[in-house]
Amino acid sequence: MSSTNSNGEARQERLLEIKDLTVGFPTRDGVVLGVDGLTLNVGSHERLGVVGESGSGKSVMGLAILGMVLPPGRIMGGSVKWRGENVLDETVANRVRGREIAMIFQDPMVSLNPLKTVGAQLRELLRRRAGLEGAKIRQRSLELLEMVGIANPQDRLKSYAFELSGGMRQRVMIATALACEPTLLIADEPTTGLDVTIQDQILTLLHDLSTELGVSVLMITHDLGVVAQFCDRVQVMYAGRIVERAPIAEMFADPQHPYSLGLLQSVPRVDRDESELSGIPGEPLDRAQFPPGCAFEPRCGESHDVCRQSAPPLVKIAERRWVACYNRPGDQS
Amino acid sequence: MLRWLAKRIIAAALVVFVVTSLVFVVTHIFTDPATVSLPLEATEEHRAQRRAALGLDRPLSTQYWDFVSGLVVGDLGESFWQSQPASKLVLERLPATLKLVAGATVVTVLLAAPLGMLAAWWERRFADHAVLGFSMAAISAPPFWIGYLLIIVFAVQLGWVPTFGSAGFVSLILPSLAIGLASAGRLSQMTRRGIVEELRKPYAVTALSRGFSRSYTIVHHTFRNVASGFVTMTGWELTRMFTGYTVVIEVVFAWPGVGRLAIHAIENRDLILVQAAVVVLATLVVVTNLLVDIARRMIDPRVDLA
Repeated sequence: MSSTNSNGEARQERLLEIKDLTVGFPTRDGVVLGVDGLTLNVGSHERLGVVGESGSGKSVMGLAILGMVLPPGRIMGGSVKWRGENVLDETVANRVRGREIAMIFQDPMVSLNPLKTVGAQLRELLRRRAGLEGAKIRQRSLELLEMVGIANPQDRLKSYAFELSGGMRQRVMIATALACEPTLLIADEPTTGLDVTIQDQILTLLHDLSTELGVSVLMITHDLGVVAQFCDRVQVMYAGRIVERAPIAEMFADPQHPYSLGLLQSVPRVDRDESELSGIPGEPLDRAQFPPGCAFEPRCGESHDVCRQSAPPLVKIAERRWVACYNRPGDQS
Repeated sequence: MLRWLAKRIIAAALVVFVVTSLVFVVTHIFTDPATVSLPLEATEEHRAQRRAALGLDRPLSTQYWDFVSGLVVGDLGESFWQSQPASKLVLERLPATLKLVAGATVVTVLLAAPLGMLAAWWERRFADHAVLGFSMAAISAPPFWIGYLLIIVFAVQLGWVPTFGSAGFVSLILPSLAIGLASAGRLSQMTRRGIVEELRKPYAVTALSRGFSRSYTIVHHTFRNVASGFVTMTGWELTRMFTGYTVVIEVVFAWPGVGRLAIHAIENRDLILVQAAVVVLATLVVVTNLLVDIARRMIDPRVDLA
């Protein structure tokens, strides 16, 4: 295995390919699309961020990658391919889930089984999903807990989740996610609800582990700070669609989509002299309303007639830069 | 744990004491065992004689003291109908009632847990609706009616089991079903709802995302989390059995238990024996609740030890 390439460039194997993924939730007012024609790729040794506000479909996307949709939602179209295999096929999903793609969730307080000890939760994973037996299980459990920086792992094996702090619980979650040596880790708001210092520790841990173990990470977050600290590349999601994708430095230096711009302007920066923060005008879209045009149009300061008529496609405007906005015409070739 | 247990046992003993005192109040202040035990045409003279014979002419406080001190050594007075110690009569019948309740509990748990899990597993599908239909039927039908139905079909028509009596294991099946079906109906619905709720919780989603199958997640993750509620509800069902169902079903199946003894005691106007039966059944209810608390503590380490 080649050593890590910190800029995420060079020869990457394409691991995950999502194409036109659409996830719908039936409601009284018709089907609401949680994810609307989403296209996204993750390569090996990559840390990709997906950023968007609450309700933009980030978490729905995370589960859908594992072929999971919470009822009553369902996958209505598109494909999710893992190394060329269709993850939406249940037999493939059963093999891949937890083994090749593992996920950690936003709320470590409630994402561990409250009635099973840490040891029991690791044990069942290692026995049933990683195929380990006997003394190896305990040995590997201790190794995993050490790896995520938990002191006195022998004692912690006997602990219940309620006996651990929030940061410890997220460390245990990470340990269970890494139990089967996955190639891709989906992290859905892994630091939300944790203290700032703990957030930083968890992000650093994830960063180090992904480098050491060569695990790609798909970081789902609403926090641009997390993206800036952690990711090589970022995709901005709005109303179930990707509106912009760019390498991390370029996104922060020169955002193209009006929504990305708005997001960046609403984050306080210490490196610039700004007297005021600006928010994005308007409300997040009521997803049941379904405008035919660009979902961001009602909040956009520079909209035209065409924006109300059809949703702009995601087009390439430069090397590794894509944007979905009629104001930013790309290479229309 | 031991301290907690000691506290619970003391509390349970206190409840038993209060309940039995209430029984004393009902039998000695609101009614008069001597009058009740005599025919309606008995003269005042007869009644006075009977009262003196039973020691009912003494001050209430003395009687209460006798009652309580008798209770401590297991003396619940003498039945006038049978002319035997009431406690002996009740305790003779107790094993039959315990057997019946045990049988009904086995029916309840063995039906409710798998049916509830099955219904949750097939949420909003045919099996779920079928389990709901069974539950509604079982809850709605009165146990005595279920009892007669079972007797007609399995004892009279098919002749598989005896119609009455407590001859061995086979005779236990029908009365256990008659009592347990309604409890199983209520509990299976509770189990189903609990599991469906738990399956949407993050820890269950996490388990599924790690590649555990839905059935494994239901049995090994969510059921554990509804088990505490399951045990509590089973305890309530046991309480209902001790205080109601066994009485009815023992009569229907001519089952020689405490419930049927209580009915006979009432028919024979034997208040002392009724009182003894009530004291024993109430004690069983309290003991059941104690066992439920201990079980919950064992299932869920977060249960408050206070």
